[in-house]
Amino acid sequence: MYIGIDVGGTCTDAVLLSEGKVRSTAKIYNTPNNLLTSLVQALDSVMKGVSAGDIERVVLSTTMITNLIVERKYDPVGLLIMPGPGRKLEHYRNADVHILSGAIDYRGREIIPVNEEEVLQAIKEFDAKGYNKVAVVGKFSPRNNRHELQVAELVKKHKPHWQVEMGHRAGGQLNFPRRVDTTVLTCATKEKYRYFVQSVNEALKKRDIKAQVFIMKADGGTMTLESSEQSPVETIFSGPAASTLGAQALTAAGETSLVVDIGGTTTDLALILSGKPLLSSKGVMVGDKLTQVRTLAVKSVPVGGDSVVEMVGKELIIYSERMGQPYCLGGPFPTPTDALNVMGLTRLGDKDRAWEAMSRLGKWANMSPVEVAKNIINLVVDTIVKEIENMFLEWEQEPAYRIWEVMQKRRVRPQNVVGVGGGAAGFVPQIAIRIGGTPVLPPYASVANAIGAAVARPTLQVTMRADTEQNIFSIEEDGYQGKINRSPFGFEQALDLAKEWLINKASRMNIGDQMQDVEITRREVFNIVRDLKTTGKIYDICVQTPRGIQWHIGAGGKLI
Amino acid sequence: MKKRTGLVFFPAFDWSIAPIHPEREERLLYTRDQIFEEGVLDLPEIIEYRPQVATPHEIARAHFCVPGVDDQVLVAHRIAAGAAIRLSDRIMSGEINNGFAIVRPPGHHAMRVVHGNRGFCSINNEAVVVEHLRRTYGIKRIAIVDTDVHHGDGTQDIYYHDPDVLFISFHQDGRTIFPGTGFTDELGGPTAYAATINIPLPPGVTDSSLLYVIDNLVLPILKDFEPEFVINSAGQDNHFTDPLGSMLITAQGYARMTEKLKPDLAVLEGGYAIESALPYVNLAILLALAGRDYSYVTEPGNHPGKIVENSQVTNYVHQVVDQLQQMWDKRKDVTVSQLCGGSKYYQRHKNIFYDTEYFEEKQLEKVRACVSCPGYVLIDSHAAQPKIGRCRVMAISIHNRCCKNCIAEAWEAYYEAKKDYRYSYVYLQDKTDDTFITFRRDDQKEWRTEG
Repeated sequence: MYIGIDVGGTCTDAVLLSEGKVRSTAKIYNTPNNLLTSLVQALDSVMKGVSAGDIERVVLSTTMITNLIVERKYDPVGLLIMPGPGRKLEHYRNADVHILSGAIDYRGREIIPVNEEEVLQAIKEFDAKGYNKVAVVGKFSPRNNRHELQVAELVKKHKPHWQVEMGHRAGGQLNFPRRVDTTVLTCATKEKYRYFVQSVNEALKKRDIKAQVFIMKADGGTMTLESSEQSPVETIFSGPAASTLGAQALTAAGETSLVVDIGGTTTDLALILSGKPLLSSKGVMVGDKLTQVRTLAVKSVPVGGDSVVEMVGKELIIYSERMGQPYCLGGPFPTPTDALNVMGLTRLGDKDRAWEAMSRLGKWANMSPVEVAKNIINLVVDTIVKEIENMFLEWEQEPAYRIWEVMQKRRVRPQNVVGVGGGAAGFVPQIAIRIGGTPVLPPYASVANAIGAAVARPTLQVTMRADTEQNIFSIEEDGYQGKINRSPFGFEQALDLAKEWLINKASRMNIGDQMQDVEITRREVFNIVRDLKTTGKIYDICVQTPRGIQWHIGAGGKLI
Repeated sequence: MKKRTGLVFFPAFDWSIAPIHPEREERLLYTRDQIFEEGVLDLPEIIEYRPQVATPHEIARAHFCVPGVDDQVLVAHRIAAGAAIRLSDRIMSGEINNGFAIVRPPGHHAMRVVHGNRGFCSINNEAVVVEHLRRTYGIKRIAIVDTDVHHGDGTQDIYYHDPDVLFISFHQDGRTIFPGTGFTDELGGPTAYAATINIPLPPGVTDSSLLYVIDNLVLPILKDFEPEFVINSAGQDNHFTDPLGSMLITAQGYARMTEKLKPDLAVLEGGYAIESALPYVNLAILLALAGRDYSYVTEPGNHPGKIVENSQVTNYVHQVVDQLQQMWDKRKDVTVSQLCGGSKYYQRHKNIFYDTEYFEEKQLEKVRACVSCPGYVLIDSHAAQPKIGRCRVMAISIHNRCCKNCIAEAWEAYYEAKKDYRYSYVYLQDKTDDTFITFRRDDQKEWRTEG
């Protein structure tokens, strides 16, 4: 049996799945500042009548790190960067940052060496200002980490108790500014994240659960609780990913669906293309920081059931902020939820108050309450449909760097519009009509996030770049760099090396049984030619475990 | 001032002319690495677009492909041209201020008649855009500034008789480099005199002399011509490390030049120092287009005082600029009848060498020396291209501003050529109503495409 838990800002949702069926669900209001209590309560309420020994796997998603970052409640981090030649980095020129000599090029060759004097000076200044956390990031460090290692070692030598994080480990993709922010956030959140991990371990221990424990990532995959301690940033935006996977589990396999999660103030849109959630081509943006964290393509629209509605002149306007509950639930202002109530599309709240809200809005424009309610619903649907169209256009317009990528893309529109979240029932049928899909309101939609967590599978990916001219290879996800020591080293050997790396990683995480089919998502070979002679090859290879979910709970809920 | 700059990056990682050919998969690999690593795609003023695929009709507006578009043009070419079209549309819609198509394969050696690939080019990406802009948006005056180290002989060929398209090319002197043309006396046909400007430069020119040419010749001419749209054929082989060229330009020089030219659209042409130049030059140009600070973009091994220009080179450059300034000032005194000796047609013989597949084309090109319009062009071309063997064709091009008489004469010439058994194919490109017709003698078939 599998348990899925979504730890949100106000609620903790949990489900217990058995053989692809929902055994029980729970919604617990969080006890402030006491994660342990909430977790234990959630476990107790879904595990009634179940022995702890039957639990095989527990998967959690959490907004904890997301909220820490958005609210800027993380620790200050001193930053040592080696940007070398290139773009002028205006915004790094402040007190927390030291720009050091040292530069590496795109193939990992040294252009300018590190100046150790500068590093010592920087350590002194950080010390004087009271820092004890330092991020060391170099441009092109994923191609050669020598400079980062050298600087980090110096810091460790002089300040053994400082926490030092390096760019090539925290952010192995090619994007220096994002690597800087990802490394800083990793450095800043590790200590606080440890509290979350401890609480989870304690809660499970209290209930004698010895199952494997995983944490959701923003890309819909999972990692072990233990390995997540090294990269807490990977847990950000795992909530929307969990909802998307939940919607996927609650619809038939292989279909193309649009997931519409209508909450209080925002509506999250996600795409499932032929049964696979669409990944974003860029990393997550959290607060004002762009990271390298891979994520599902989730688009947030600032409109929801609790958005404030006002009549300006003869025009209705929906504001993005929330000013409390809907009027029919005792709130101060009319909202889309009141409109739904008037139209009989929700039973939420007090009917008389909902009518009162609508007639108040309609008074000046000489509109009946029903007319007002209809207009509000249309306006919400319009706003969401427009963003849906944009989302498809953006997907169709994603850059392509290969001929086959340009030629293969077709126009796609969803078969299903899957509604989850509080406001879904009222709006989803109309959205579906507008974009020509079948509306689906699955059972258990209110705990889709926890279901998504429970069905999520561990995902591992290995991106390898090997350069046979220099006889080196690197693994992006692990920040590993080493020498190629097999000969001959052709494409087959390179692919084998990447696969071995993936399999070893899987067995370290104790999920070696999932390695039957490895997917190859990139296989590129570049001839390095100098003076008309082939002097080596560059192999760019990416392998991963198959993406997908553990079970489909069913394809119920279709409204035709 | 910061601007919104569109980028189409199409490195064609799955296409090459041949595995060790300079035009191979690896060419833009390190440029990709540099641009990604710098995070420029996250800048709010840079918007990346997907390329589109140019249609055969869009290509036929600029070229007579023998025997047909599909025989000469690969998908890679259509995507590179489509990338430039995409950006031109976004610029015209006002979504972006300017754009950079970092694409391969290149195109500026592709001429009006295409029997094969020459100088790594099959179709002319800039010409496809020019015809698209004229047809779709009614733009009248367009300038193309070719900053590749090689003479943009293809672009020159296509617009040699077009007074509405100003073609300016500076390049290393043709006596020292492929394709061996582009001298100061190549100034365009009688109806388009001084709409072609060639600035041959001696080997060894550095940033300072290059910027001298831009300031004292290119910019004043552009100002007088008043183009509505400026395209830069941005070849990067003037770089001091380029293996084919012998110039001494740096990434900073390229960026400064771009800042001065202010092109609406830059399209990558040549440049084969794929490690030492391209990553830095492409980055510097992109930043310059976006109005960002590029002063920290320096290539490894380049330091102040390293690159010095020989004073003879400086003097020679000043002389070339002087000579062309005088020509430009007196251009209006030269009449159509002076240029063609009073005869009805102006004609020239051309031998065109296709260096990729090693064969030659012979052309007789005639333009109607009309005093009231740009005239129409007749091209009698034959070549023994490897694809179909020996073949002679007649190609007729009608300018979009042709007068009624010229249109009638051109169509008459088309009907006559159809009767002439020597021509295996006869083509007519009528830009006044955007039609393109192909006639095949074998089976007497005629196709027509319309925009």
